[in-house]
Amino acid sequence: MIDFDPNVSSLLPNVKQGMAQAIRPGAAHADFSRAVQAIGEHVSKVDDLQQASDASIQDLLTGKHNDITTTVSAVAKADMSFKLLVGVRNKLIEAYKQTMSMPL
Amino acid sequence: MSIPRAFGPLDIAVSGMRAHAKHMEVISSNIANSRTADAGKGQPYRRLEAVFRAQGEGVAGVTIADIVPDAGALQRLYDPGNPAADPSGYVTMPNVHLPVEMMNLNLASRAYQANAAVLRRYQRMVETTLELLR
Repeated sequence: MIDFDPNVSSLLPNVKQGMAQAIRPGAAHADFSRAVQAIGEHVSKVDDLQQASDASIQDLLTGKHNDITTTVSAVAKADMSFKLLVGVRNKLIEAYKQTMSMPL
Repeated sequence: MSIPRAFGPLDIAVSGMRAHAKHMEVISSNIANSRTADAGKGQPYRRLEAVFRAQGEGVAGVTIADIVPDAGALQRLYDPGNPAADPSGYVTMPNVHLPVEMMNLNLASRAYQANAAVLRRYQRMVETTLELLR
């Protein structure tokens, strides 16, 4: 859970390089799209956990299995990963807002 | 020793909760059958014991590997009126000792609570980490 690695940090050296050499914006663009792709992958992973948690709750309630600890585990995982996702999203939006309100 | 995965503490705590719940099931069977003189094959019920095993080497969860009957001596109670009594008036009863079972029950429920506490504490820990994002 904590070792979240959407590959953004590993891309940072490249991003900095791309920013320093503003002449070729293609490289920076590629890095950014990779970061976006990584975030998309993370979102789909979180979605998988949410769906697993939903399926587990449904199985428990319909009596397909009666092991409540499995459901607790699935729900806890979905909850934690979703909170992380929301945190990252809030941070991204905040960064966007700060960029937009930059006086030019 | 392998590096634990991202959900390590969570999975381990849940495995502990599951194992101790199963242990409690075994204990309840023992208590329920503490006076079962015939457990199917004409023999008195034998106390069952849950065997815990780690899920792997190093950092790992726990699982119930086996549930084995206790080979200890069966109790003999003096009850001459019982139709199952032998000529000297003794009835063979299961080797379940209620005080021991109550102690095991306490252990199992405390261990279950401890695992649940680990789970809750880990969740709070992750939330604390996420607070740093703000």
